[in-house]
Amino acid sequence: MGKPLCTILFLLLFINCCFSWKKDEFRDCNQTPFCKRARSRKPGACSLIATDVSVSDGDLVAKLVPKENNQENSENQGKPIKPLILRISAYQDGVMRVKIDEDQSLGPRKKRFEVPDVIVAEFLEKKLWLQRLKEEKNEDGSGILSVVYLSDGFEGVIRHDPFEVFVRESGKKGKKVLSLNSNGLFDFEQLRDKKEENEDWEERFRSHTDSRPYGPQSISFDVSFYDADFVYGIPEHATSLALKPTKGPGVEDSEPYRLFNLDVFEYIDDSPFGLYGTVPFMISHGKSRGSSGFFWLNAAEMQIDVLGPGWNDEFSSVLMLPSDQKRIDTLWMSEAGVVDAFFFVGPGPKDVVRQYTSVTGAPALPQLFAVAYHQCRWNYRDEEDVYSVDAKFDEHDIPYDVLWLDIEHTDGKRYFTWDKLLFPNPEEMQKKLAAKGRHMVTIVDPHIKRDDSYFIHKEASQKGYYVKDATGKDFDGWCWPGSSSYLDMVNPEIRSWWADKFSYENYVGSTPSLYIWNDMNEPSVFNGPEVTMPRDALHYGNVEHRELHNAYGYYFHMATADGLVKRGDGKDRPFVLSRAFFPGSQRYGAVWTGDNTAEWEHLRVSVPMILTLGLTGISFSGADVGGFFGNPDTELLVRWYQLGAYYPFFRAHAHHDTKRREPWLFGERNTELIKEAIHVRYMLLPYFYTLFREANASGVPVARPLWMEFPTDEKTFSNDEAFMVGNSLLVQGIYTQRAKHASVYLPGDQSWYDMKTGTAYKGGATHKLDVSDDTIPAFQRAGTIIPRKDRFRRSSTQMENDPYTLVIALNSSKAAEGELYVDDGKSFEFQKGAYIHRRFTFSNGRLTSSNLAPLTAAHSKFASDCTVERIILLGLSPEPKTASVEPGNETVDIELGPLVLREGKGRSVLTIRKPNVRIAEDWTIKVL
Amino acid sequence: MSNIRLLKVLFFGCIIVLIDGINRSAASPFIKDSFLGISPEDEDYYKGLLSSSSAIKCKDGTKKFNKSQLNDDFCDCPDGSDEPGTSACPNGKFYCKNAGHIPVLLYSSRVNDGICDCCDGSDEYDGKTKCPNTCWEAGKAAREKLRKKIATYQEGVIIRRQEIERAKVSITKEEGELSKLKDEEKILKGLVEKLIKMISVILFHMTQFGITPVDEPPQDSVEHHDKSINEPELKDHSVKDEIPDKGNAEQPGKDLHCLIPSKAGLDTGEISDSNLLRNLSVFDPKWTDCNGTSSSWWRIRYRKQLKSIFEAIFVNVFQAPVNISDAAYVRKEYDESSAKLSKIQSRISKLTKKLKQDFGPEKEFYSFYGQCFEGKENKYVYKVCPYEKATQEEGYSTTRLGSWEKFEDSYRTMQFLNGDKCWNGPDRSLKVKLRCGLKNEVTDVDEPSRCE
Repeated sequence: MGKPLCTILFLLLFINCCFSWKKDEFRDCNQTPFCKRARSRKPGACSLIATDVSVSDGDLVAKLVPKENNQENSENQGKPIKPLILRISAYQDGVMRVKIDEDQSLGPRKKRFEVPDVIVAEFLEKKLWLQRLKEEKNEDGSGILSVVYLSDGFEGVIRHDPFEVFVRESGKKGKKVLSLNSNGLFDFEQLRDKKEENEDWEERFRSHTDSRPYGPQSISFDVSFYDADFVYGIPEHATSLALKPTKGPGVEDSEPYRLFNLDVFEYIDDSPFGLYGTVPFMISHGKSRGSSGFFWLNAAEMQIDVLGPGWNDEFSSVLMLPSDQKRIDTLWMSEAGVVDAFFFVGPGPKDVVRQYTSVTGAPALPQLFAVAYHQCRWNYRDEEDVYSVDAKFDEHDIPYDVLWLDIEHTDGKRYFTWDKLLFPNPEEMQKKLAAKGRHMVTIVDPHIKRDDSYFIHKEASQKGYYVKDATGKDFDGWCWPGSSSYLDMVNPEIRSWWADKFSYENYVGSTPSLYIWNDMNEPSVFNGPEVTMPRDALHYGNVEHRELHNAYGYYFHMATADGLVKRGDGKDRPFVLSRAFFPGSQRYGAVWTGDNTAEWEHLRVSVPMILTLGLTGISFSGADVGGFFGNPDTELLVRWYQLGAYYPFFRAHAHHDTKRREPWLFGERNTELIKEAIHVRYMLLPYFYTLFREANASGVPVARPLWMEFPTDEKTFSNDEAFMVGNSLLVQGIYTQRAKHASVYLPGDQSWYDMKTGTAYKGGATHKLDVSDDTIPAFQRAGTIIPRKDRFRRSSTQMENDPYTLVIALNSSKAAEGELYVDDGKSFEFQKGAYIHRRFTFSNGRLTSSNLAPLTAAHSKFASDCTVERIILLGLSPEPKTASVEPGNETVDIELGPLVLREGKGRSVLTIRKPNVRIAEDWTIKVL
Repeated sequence: MSNIRLLKVLFFGCIIVLIDGINRSAASPFIKDSFLGISPEDEDYYKGLLSSSSAIKCKDGTKKFNKSQLNDDFCDCPDGSDEPGTSACPNGKFYCKNAGHIPVLLYSSRVNDGICDCCDGSDEYDGKTKCPNTCWEAGKAAREKLRKKIATYQEGVIIRRQEIERAKVSITKEEGELSKLKDEEKILKGLVEKLIKMISVILFHMTQFGITPVDEPPQDSVEHHDKSINEPELKDHSVKDEIPDKGNAEQPGKDLHCLIPSKAGLDTGEISDSNLLRNLSVFDPKWTDCNGTSSSWWRIRYRKQLKSIFEAIFVNVFQAPVNISDAAYVRKEYDESSAKLSKIQSRISKLTKKLKQDFGPEKEFYSFYGQCFEGKENKYVYKVCPYEKATQEEGYSTTRLGSWEKFEDSYRTMQFLNGDKCWNGPDRSLKVKLRCGLKNEVTDVDEPSRCE
């Protein structure tokens, strides 16, 4: 393919020159004035005190003003500082919201940006109307405190002088949980006029100049987490799960964790550098207390320091910090916006995640097919290629659900169009795949080719729907199609217009089995500063890009997902994968960890990256299986499939300069291994889908750090090699070549059963296990019941009526429990009660299935004829021979069978043969 | 820009003709529900199960199952032998008879999955999906297709046979030519050497006797010797028209000029006349001996004219000056002979190279030599020249996909390697898959990935 490829090559060269990972391509903290400034401030530098504290409109409000006669205050440079308004509100379930902004009644130069459409409406309804304010004189001399009720057991407190906001356990002596400005680092640059005509507000980086017409407007403050051993969260970084300190004695010189959505070419696997998405939500965890969380809703560039112990020792005398509590201090810095922060009291890790998702929304329940395996490559070249890949899956009896088309399927990177030579009959193609229950995904990016004959561009430019540059013209940047403009998705009208583009009439060649992938939505601008949009570009409402940069991709994702909902008349759950993300993205679809590399260390770092996303609400995430850049060696590819089968989002993807790597290309043995890995995923689909429903209901992620399930087991706190899938499965990747052994720590006091052999291992111990090429370590926790479907089909679609297998792993008291959630896998009817939700309980030799769904208020019903064909009992002795099924009092056999059907090897396990009870009904099986 | 490309080239020259029986299996006499999905080869195995009251072993020998467990929709055998007719075992296979068409063994995952896989519909029996029996139509179409294919193959076999015959004839002819040319080469080589020596001697004489050779360029213009000096002389020569290739004729002229300065070597007496004489006498008889097999112009002329000059020179070495026209004549002879020699050598090398190639076990690919096949795919022209190279052209730009490497996969694939380097990747390469047909042509081009 000589010429078009040449074109791409040139482009690649260009990209290569502009964003291969080179430190100096991107700004570091020292090159970022607001960061440099905030980072160099000394503890106690904040001179603000709280005055006029009162309860108003159900909130606790106060003014923050500089302390009079404060000689040290050099920051206001002789000019009077206007007071800031502090407003504290309490919400149900232990959420405290703290807002600090300029006093609007004093007519600031500009209304500072508050990020719209992130906080869900239901949250606002949970506001508690604060009635009373309690004044307290603190005995330790720290002055006057104003205290309000927050939730049972917790209070919100303002210390007046110096100003500090914190949450504590109720009572005068209640322990602190979370606090803001305890180290006196709070700083708020108010908008002002230029001091003198020629004051230079411009910022220059490399060849780019940011005009900064509103001058400095940054905000920074310190947040302390009490009784915390570690802090986690604030994606997206390719780094460890437990966040390493970035500053402090004995800490290697490090950049702060940067939160600035960027298209980073070939990111490195261990760095605080900011990647494609942002969630400014940090969660702490400690053995003695549990978890707490802090979320700052702000879409400007943010930098966060995790401060190592002793970082402020020389200032301890001025700070009055409690010495009896362990603490982790952090410094939060943002270029613009307001303080709109949320304190979550926990106390358990799952509580914090639930509290956080009550603010930003629960993860959407994906369609069942989206939970299955996705096959992607840049690019499946043409229809013939698509058919041949599809046929090969069938030839090898490997299931898959979704085939993806990257940018080359379009007519010249004009999204919503098809290359007429390569894809002359897209509808027919989708229908042929749909006939096998398979779906397709096409890519739709936010950069719009500036071509007057392109209908999207024509309309968008006529309607003025593009982001403007600093001079007010449509911003023109360089991306895949060449000269491009970017839709201003922060405007609801434009989002609605965009959503309409996904209708079947507008998106010619689309069918109901087609779903969407949003890439490059940071936004990526090849010739922009740091490969993104200039900060002085202008959005709807005269908002500068600097103020909403991190949310740009979120709004695009939102508009696309809304489009798919509209397309299906509100009856079809959307599926949209996005690379950029922001708090709330979990409501709109999946995200992936971007353009990783085919290296073992990237396989390893995928786990902390996915776990971090899950902790911050974004449960549906995954890494490109195989690694996007480069060619994985066969062993790495197999190991990646084996681990990827447990990612919440399971997709293989590859760069177009890499070798083809579909599962059957590496010889018979490796095809078998990859097929087996994919089969594991399909076998566990009922379990995964139940977990997605749990996430949808509670925010608790599908893939969880071990400490979320074992919050008092310190050994788990910094473990990011292993993770839990739900509460029942522990998985650990193999991250090295030719591994013969793996050390796996199994937490808790109960046993664990090897998923493949059924062998039991003691909990609370590290086991050195032999490793073979056919599996990675995976264990079922004693005391749990996992629903499976052991029959394989072409895709998840054909598994609908297949019978279930229940795997019961008994704990030391011979008991276990588990859940199963089933619905139609497609529609929103589940929201009206059309689902089956069962609880399985095993105790005293009896397995009972009971209903978990509310019996009343179901406007819609979901029925299923599915039965249970096999029940596997792990850890039961003596071995019973028969079981009786109630109702009906039928006797069924118990015999020895394989734990995994395909294997037929390993220890035989107790199997109740064909109980044939219906999944939708109540029943009891008694082991005799 | 992948550099692995697959070209399917439709070639005649059928290698294997496979004609499978169309109605291989008659209806089984054991139709029973419990026999669903069992292939005829396995019927005995299952008959054994039905006739015994006890359990039999799974085919893989791992476990046992009894009559009631056959096709009871529960997997007892890891290899699926107890569930040939259901989807219960992941490793099972389902046999559809497809009467009227070709029987098929399906993965058990296809049983009752809502998709009609067997044309007789037997894989969907749970009542949820209705599959019409399409075997007769499908079989008819398949038979028609097969018939056409067979016809094509048969025709192809004939063409192939003719091709092989032609190749054999051509190869024999070319081998004959080659050995003849090799003989001639040997002889010509001798002659040329002899002529070189003569020229040396002549030059020596001329210098001795103060005669300036007509065509010897002045020393300082040796570099730009050329036709302007040589040609007038050639014109006089009667045999000039017999030199078929002028391009070749230039070469010896040049060689001669290069030789001239070597008289300096003679001056120092490195080559003595007695040596020359001895060498010539060795050659002499041979020249006269070979007249039986040759009618070439140079042989004839050698006898008539050259010989006398030889004699003149070597008999009167130290007595009489050499006639200038004789010298010119010798020179001419040299030019022509070495031109001829170089032509023969180039032909020999061409033939040797060609005959060295792997034309297949029956030389069926002989006719591909020197041929190129072109296929157009979108805006690219793919050009495949077996035994040489393959390229991809767009307008005036050409990308080399590879040089001929070899046949692979029992002559079903041609391999071209070491094409132009792919940016940031390896060298391009190409595989050409051969398929039997009636015409040699490129039928399809595929590029599985850009850089592989």
